[in-house]
Amino acid sequence: MSASAITVEGLGKRFGAVQAVDDVNFSVERGEIFGFMGHNGAGKTTTLRMLLGLTRPTRGKATVLGHDVTLATLEVRRAAGYLPASYALPPDMTAREFLQYVAAMFAIPPATARARGEDLLRRFGLEGAADRKLRGFSTGMTQKVGLAQALINEPQVLFLDEPTSGLDPLGRHELLEHLRGLSQQGVTIVFSSHILSDVETLCRRVAAMHHARLIACGEIAALKREHGAATMDELYLNLVRRQAS
Amino acid sequence: MTRLLWLDYLAALRERKTWIAAAMLVYAVLAIPLLLADPPPHVREAIAAWFHDADPFAVFMFVWIDLVMNKVVAFVPVILASGVVLRERDTGVLGLLAAKPLTLSRYFVVRTASTCAVMLTLYAATQLLGAAWFPGRVAGFRPGTFLAAMSLHAFAAVFATALAATVTVAVGRRGAGALVALMLLGLLVGLALVGFYQPDWYAMTLANPLTLGALAMRDLEHLSPSLLLPPMLALAGLTAVTIAIGAWVVRKVEA
Repeated sequence: MSASAITVEGLGKRFGAVQAVDDVNFSVERGEIFGFMGHNGAGKTTTLRMLLGLTRPTRGKATVLGHDVTLATLEVRRAAGYLPASYALPPDMTAREFLQYVAAMFAIPPATARARGEDLLRRFGLEGAADRKLRGFSTGMTQKVGLAQALINEPQVLFLDEPTSGLDPLGRHELLEHLRGLSQQGVTIVFSSHILSDVETLCRRVAAMHHARLIACGEIAALKREHGAATMDELYLNLVRRQAS
Repeated sequence: MTRLLWLDYLAALRERKTWIAAAMLVYAVLAIPLLLADPPPHVREAIAAWFHDADPFAVFMFVWIDLVMNKVVAFVPVILASGVVLRERDTGVLGLLAAKPLTLSRYFVVRTASTCAVMLTLYAATQLLGAAWFPGRVAGFRPGTFLAAMSLHAFAAVFATALAATVTVAVGRRGAGALVALMLLGLLVGLALVGFYQPDWYAMTLANPLTLGALAMRDLEHLSPSLLLPPMLALAGLTAVTIAIGAWVVRKVEA
């Protein structure tokens, strides 16, 4: 079995005249929390969507747990959890109903789905709100339900796109703790964010994207040393400036 | 798939628009006997000419099928089905659901099938309520004939729901799709009984699915499985084909 949970080779995506992702290469090891950083529109979301088969690459190849993302899309999705940067929950469902609904999309047997749903509601402190309509949920609660639905299939790989944006400091801290716990259980996590302090808190290795291209990939400590940066912000700015020059 | 269909059906039943549709149908059941208490003579004469019968029950069935349930079939499916997949896309829910191991085509089939089931539930409940409410209020009312005739028309209602869902995803925008579906269903409803008014055109109008749904009007006195089953099967087949077309078309929708 390969040590890499995710491999990306020469991946590219063009939307008409716009090159959204250009020749991206990286790999993520099993059980790793891998940071994906870059400004808005850098190509992070498009890359994640290609890894889940939601957008078809125009060039290159990627595999998730050994499955080609274009040829075995459903296999990839069966083993993956995904929290997009921008989404909404069905307003007329309750949190409990929504988790059962998502579990049914994975064809998880009802008894197992109920047990997992209750466990996730408890884990995210949502038991008290489990039977409330989702339309009334706050940003933090919505994000917790979003993460819970991404975990209902007990994924081996979790793709999180800007999961901490919109959360208050306490909510952010709780979320990062949850992710650390998942990583300790062996879940591979791709954590995409432009909040660089969160990336540094959580990840050992990162990839940085700028204008559709991967401008750096490696261990945070090594990248900082190599680019003479004391902080993540400084590292990212140095990488972008070097790219510009 | 079955569990997802069931959960989707339950969720759709709880939606506000379903309750609005239910209220419209209850109003129709309660109001029609009052409105029909004394139909104008020209209506009686026209119906006698069209259906060779001036029996008050035939008058009632004409009014119920063409003026009530056919109008319901033009409006309620659009209300229920015009948001299938597109509403999830527009609100952002599809962003979460599209990453699950279910193709968009299959998701469309589940959503449309559950919406058809909701339509059928509302429809069946309306007819059962009618069968309980109309005796004694509608002269010559025959519950057995009424339910047999309406069971055929129910297939037309389900077809209309599938058509509304498919037309909307084909158009790609909710508002415009709903409008096109409404116009198309309005046209089919408007032409549904033309074959009864103009017997020369009868064979041609059988191409209209909503005419098939109203075929019981041809011979209310002698409804039988041999009269009802062929149009039921034809409508079930048309519904399946319509959903299949929608499942093919929906692939262009970007989550």
